[in-house]
Amino acid sequence: MKFIKKQIPLMIVMVVGLLTLASYYVPNKHSVDYIELLSKWENIVMAFAFLLGLISLFYSHYNKISRKTDGWGYSLFVYIGFLGMVVPAMMNGGRQMVDGRLTMLGWSFNYIYNALSATMFAVLAFYIVSTAYRSFRIKSKQAFVLFLAAFVLILGKVPLGQIIWDFLLGWTHATVSEVIEWIMSVPAVAGKRGIMIGISIGAIVTSLKIIFGIERQYMGKD
Amino acid sequence: MLKEKLEKFFKIDRRWIFLLLAIVLFAPIMKPIGLPNKTISRDAQNAYTFMDNIPAGSFVLFSLDYDPSTRPELHPQAMAMVRHAFKRDLRVGVVTFIAGSTGLISQIFAKVPGEYNKVNGTDYVIFPYQANYAAVMTQMGSDLYGIYDKDQDGRDARTLPVMKGVKNYKDMALVVDITGTSILDQWVAFVGDKFNVPVVGGVTAISQPGYGPYLQTKQLKGLLGGMKGAAEYESLIKEPGKGTSGIDSLNLAHLLVLILIMTSNIILLIIRYL
Amino acid sequence: MIKYKAILTLFLSLLSVNAAFSAEPAPAVISGLTAVDMPYDVGNAVMLRWAINPSDTPDTVYVVHASSQQAGAWVEADRFSASAKTGDDIELPFWAWDGSAMEHAVKVELNNIFGESAAGSVFRFKVSALEKGLLKAESAPVPATPVGNWFRLDRLNNIVLLIVIVIVFFWAVSHAKRKGLFIRRIAGLDAIDEAIGRATEMGKPIYYVPGIGTMSSISTIASAFILGEVSKKVAQYDSQIKVPHYDPIVMTVCKEIVKQSYMEAGRPDSYREDINFFVSQDQFSYAASVDGMISREKPAACFFMGYFMAESLLLAEVGATSGAIQIAGTDIESQLPFFFTACDYTLIGEELYAAGAYLSKEPMLLSALKVQDFGKLVVMVSVFFGIILVAAGAALHWDSFVNVILNLFKAY
Repeated sequence: MKFIKKQIPLMIVMVVGLLTLASYYVPNKHSVDYIELLSKWENIVMAFAFLLGLISLFYSHYNKISRKTDGWGYSLFVYIGFLGMVVPAMMNGGRQMVDGRLTMLGWSFNYIYNALSATMFAVLAFYIVSTAYRSFRIKSKQAFVLFLAAFVLILGKVPLGQIIWDFLLGWTHATVSEVIEWIMSVPAVAGKRGIMIGISIGAIVTSLKIIFGIERQYMGKD
Repeated sequence: MLKEKLEKFFKIDRRWIFLLLAIVLFAPIMKPIGLPNKTISRDAQNAYTFMDNIPAGSFVLFSLDYDPSTRPELHPQAMAMVRHAFKRDLRVGVVTFIAGSTGLISQIFAKVPGEYNKVNGTDYVIFPYQANYAAVMTQMGSDLYGIYDKDQDGRDARTLPVMKGVKNYKDMALVVDITGTSILDQWVAFVGDKFNVPVVGGVTAISQPGYGPYLQTKQLKGLLGGMKGAAEYESLIKEPGKGTSGIDSLNLAHLLVLILIMTSNIILLIIRYL
Repeated sequence: MIKYKAILTLFLSLLSVNAAFSAEPAPAVISGLTAVDMPYDVGNAVMLRWAINPSDTPDTVYVVHASSQQAGAWVEADRFSASAKTGDDIELPFWAWDGSAMEHAVKVELNNIFGESAAGSVFRFKVSALEKGLLKAESAPVPATPVGNWFRLDRLNNIVLLIVIVIVFFWAVSHAKRKGLFIRRIAGLDAIDEAIGRATEMGKPIYYVPGIGTMSSISTIASAFILGEVSKKVAQYDSQIKVPHYDPIVMTVCKEIVKQSYMEAGRPDSYREDINFFVSQDQFSYAASVDGMISREKPAACFFMGYFMAESLLLAEVGATSGAIQIAGTDIESQLPFFFTACDYTLIGEELYAAGAYLSKEPMLLSALKVQDFGKLVVMVSVFFGIILVAAGAALHWDSFVNVILNLFKAY
């Protein structure tokens, strides 16, 4: 049992991992075909996993409703929303437009789904402003530098800010967009690259740990 | 006493801030103030110049990959760039890898082509949504009809006049990708670098700083960032639209953020040194 | 016999005189054209090379023709001006390419011209030079057969570095148990205990949000490791944990991990199937749903570990206002600022990867962190000396030296 649950999966990981790694150095058609095959398999597995997800979703909300936990009414909307999108989609073959007219699916997509997801993204603006107010405190010298950079950036992002800059600091002959360009292409890129290099090395080591079976928590310990 | 009062400001119910922001955003949309759009950023200017120098009649591929969530920022960008392409009598092809953007694409092409007397199939073509972008991008490098054999309305793509002489990236003058996702990175890596096609991007303001390295290496010929990018492009093609009208709100909202940050820090200073 | 030859010669010379009097002079011959399989590729391209003609003017245009037939059926493959496409323009490192600026080198991608699967078939090529649209010179056709190659020699620098890292990796891992290893404290991870303790005291749940990555992103894998350690502690304290999911495969993996952790903690009875549950595979639906749960249930602690995009602040801000202790970690650098401002602790990129090892305290995993440090050392040293050498080389005009250094560090 341990062999089937442990050794075989680890072997699959190692073989597939090494082959995929090798395909980076082997330009042959076989290696191209191999990568294509893998991505096809991934898509197939994905589709079945999605079914699993759906079952889990229904199961957990069914539990909430049957136990009448707090806010179980919201769980009803999972089923209503699901049927409301899937049934019309089945009826007209997943098309949003038929003969230039919106179908039921198209309508719910355009006027419900679109509106809801736009709202969620728009809420970000409100959160950013409130977070800026609550958390952007100059508590140290470093924070002051950060504040200065942010101040210039925000100012330069909008025309009104540019006018203010020219009015107050026009005598320096440095336009705000030049200053921003410098901030974005020197200190910002330098910091970003530092983080990127660290992340890439971490990713390489994590991959090696997985390929050689040293990190195996993802399949349960024993 | 004053200190305690000031400290209350820090614990202010954030809904007041939300209300303030809502007013600042709504008021100028309802009643535009008309603040001037003074400067054009270098990257937007580059995008414009590149498009402006393409010989008339060339084929430009638009990849419009944004869904309704990022519509306010990206839709005006797409409108402005499509307008510019039509103005310059370029042939336009449209693809998308985001299911949610098909509706938005129809909105653009229900409106813009009419303004320039452009005909579907002759001057522009819209291809249907495709899911697996990496595979599609690679396929279009050899033969785009392998993926897009029919246009959105089911017509044979090979016989459309707009597709005359267009088979793969070699026959395209430019790829424009407008997106709120990381698909632009893929256009640069899979297509721009590999097939030597110029790529111009349009992204949300929040992800704009991340493209600095690509612009430095000229892997991106130009970039529009957020609503400001749209407004800049609109002023370059002298067709003010949604981007320009949003600039007032954008101006005031940015100033509000500045004022809020300054207020909270001034209060902090007073509390500390009083 | 000789007589016949003399007549033939006379006849031919008459012909050539005739040709000389016609409208165009006969085109010169481009000699020395070679066509060989393009090295290090899948077998779809051929490399054409011929010497630069000193008499070319800026108006000279070269046209490359290719054919897949025995005779005729020429298709134009490339067209460029005489100053372009020299051996120097081929993007290959010095150890894999010996081109010079004194020759033209053109890569012809046959799959773009003749469709898929060019490998193994014979193609013919010819090059002609045009001046102001008139044919000036032409080469004889040369054949070539593109084949798929077995090694990307241009990526030699890459594979050498990889082998070094793998050797160091095995060295570090095999020496793992001999002595203890110092690891700098990571505040965000030390706070996990505090957060779980607080949740137990308050009798409120903990939310563990693994983000919107799939199982192929490293941050999601790292997040799954951390979840294992966190849920073990949760089981020990007999607290509650909830893990909403965006990706069904990640959910399935996490279910196994959490189940295992509960068993290891000796509390298999407390494990429930609905600890891990699927929410939605739509970014903002996921964010909205998790936000709703957080603001209704007011959890004692929220963990945001994994791959996050625009929903980072949407989640973290709601958690912050609900009063939870928040610990975040992601390798998406554009989202880090949002987590910094809205969370109590944030793990930056590699700290997230190291977290599984840090929490589990397993010597094998900890020693792999050494490899990470070694990698950083290599980068630091090469950046430092690379800058000095390139700057010095550029100042002294040692162009080929600078080229060698740049080639060594470039990805092909």
